[in-house]
Amino acid sequence: MYSYIVRRLAFGLLTILGVSLIVFTVLRVLPGDPLVAIFGPEGFTKLSDAERARYMADLGLSDPLLVQYLNWMGDIVRGNLGRSFFRSESVAEMIARRGPLTAEIGIIAVILSWVVGIPVAIVSALRPNSVSDNVSRFFSILFLAIPGFWLGMLIVLASLFWFGYRVPLAGASLLEDPWTNLQVVIGPAVVLGLGQGAYIARMARSSLLEVVREDYVRTARAKGLPGRLVIALHALPNAMLPVITLSGILLGFVLAGSIPVERAFGTPGLGYAMYNAVRERDVFVMQNLVFLYAVVFVALNIFIDMTIAWLDPRIRYR
Amino acid sequence: MTATDPEIALDASPIVAAAEPSRWRRVGRGLRTFIRRAPFSAFWGGLAAAILLMAIAAPVLAPYEPLKSDFRAMTKPPDEKHVFGTDQIGRDTLSRIIYGSRASLTVAIGAVLFGTTLGALWGLACGYFGGRFDIASQRIIEFLQSFPDLILAMAIAMALGAGLGTVIVAIAITRIPFGGRVIRAVVLSLKEMSYVEAARGLGASHLRMMARHILPQCIAPYLILATTHLGVAIIIEASLGFLGVGIPPPTPTWGNMLADSLNAGLVPPWWLVLFPGCAITITVLAFSLLGDGIRDLVDPRLRGALRQ
Repeated sequence: MYSYIVRRLAFGLLTILGVSLIVFTVLRVLPGDPLVAIFGPEGFTKLSDAERARYMADLGLSDPLLVQYLNWMGDIVRGNLGRSFFRSESVAEMIARRGPLTAEIGIIAVILSWVVGIPVAIVSALRPNSVSDNVSRFFSILFLAIPGFWLGMLIVLASLFWFGYRVPLAGASLLEDPWTNLQVVIGPAVVLGLGQGAYIARMARSSLLEVVREDYVRTARAKGLPGRLVIALHALPNAMLPVITLSGILLGFVLAGSIPVERAFGTPGLGYAMYNAVRERDVFVMQNLVFLYAVVFVALNIFIDMTIAWLDPRIRYR
Repeated sequence: MTATDPEIALDASPIVAAAEPSRWRRVGRGLRTFIRRAPFSAFWGGLAAAILLMAIAAPVLAPYEPLKSDFRAMTKPPDEKHVFGTDQIGRDTLSRIIYGSRASLTVAIGAVLFGTTLGALWGLACGYFGGRFDIASQRIIEFLQSFPDLILAMAIAMALGAGLGTVIVAIAITRIPFGGRVIRAVVLSLKEMSYVEAARGLGASHLRMMARHILPQCIAPYLILATTHLGVAIIIEASLGFLGVGIPPPTPTWGNMLADSLNAGLVPPWWLVLFPGCAITITVLAFSLLGDGIRDLVDPRLRGALRQ
């Protein structure tokens, strides 16, 4: 187990290095002048050549690319994530303030996706190709097709229309004001959770149908165990492994999906900060946020892999 | 096998000419089987085809110009003149939705043609050659997959600047790893088959092996993957438009329309929110259910490889 953990961690570090190279290439090396982004096309043409050169030097953009990359990595290791061109708050402060809200949304969404997805999958798999199976399959595919941010806009609109209710705009921390916090978080979490629940239901259904064919399930039936118990005690635990792996991948969907969904709800989370950075073409904030999201995603997947290895000795001893 | 190349070329043309009608008949028969055996999927397939036609025939179908504003009819709810209402500068929502299908489908088809295809060919080469090339490729694919799709697409679209081409490139890049993984898995299982070994024993070149013996077996999984990716690409395109890094306005796209609706006042008018979203949902649903239907129809052996 320990050698597996060490191998997986080393591998994760390599991945993060690769990820940083991709982020740097995409946001710094590709064409597109950051000064145009900062000053706008009009402001940019008003700058003299000397001013342009000075700004580029101030921002560290006239250094060779390798130096720029190493400086960036050094800053990240020191925890200095820079600041936005347009806001006084530093990126680190912004993450500390907005991050918890998005993390909360993600956690509730994942729990919800299991609570919704697994029962639907069991109902489907108990009688494959029955009416209830077809209905639940159609609904899971429907929820994959509905864009989360649109569902969010509809919910905002409907609650305003019918109940005159508007979500409080200011985020509040879970400890200080749990009621306001819940109102802010619940909308995005439900929307993202339903979308993910659809994936979970599909995966759990096909995984259950595969496991049900195994010999040990037949043995359990043969010894006279009732059908429900066979599923609950014998089939379900083994069928869950691919679903747990999928959950890791889906966390990425939640992280990314929360960007447009937070915009739809006006939630003051990290996703909304990402939307602001994109809208303002704020290259440096974007660079650090994209890197942060990718690192969180990689770390979560390492955690999931270890959980799986802990649950399933076949992987541990490979 | 002793025939030289020019002879093959000479022989080939009459055969192809003779085969032409029967090939069409075969396609027709295949379609009929599909409709009979999977009427549900066939219905959604028909709907997908109808949406494609709508995009092509947009100028004929749209009742108004999508960019022309009518200042006497601003933010009008649906009535008989404007079936889906108008937006805040008096543009007809129905016409904009019809034209919006062009942007969505162009981006989706472009992204799949470049991304999924490039990924599939890469996966084919990885699975076929194996070794160091495969290991290095798998690492690169792993790095690309460490980003959630939308975030990578957002970063690329932002870096390259908004536009139709850049949106296609941004979404195509997020499709490469999936194509690569699935096709590689298929090729790895094909490589062990005895007919491939027989071809190798007869001295077929690498190119011939890949093109004649491996590639045809990859077409079915590729088609399933491509149809599913069409749906995903449409959602990513709409999200990019919604976040303001898609195709820049005033070009009507479904994502842009939803983003615009948020600027239409404190409370967005319901018709500006409802209809574009319905267009996205129905289109994505049509392509995913078509993909599901194709998967159920083709060899069940493929299902294992595709689920990953």
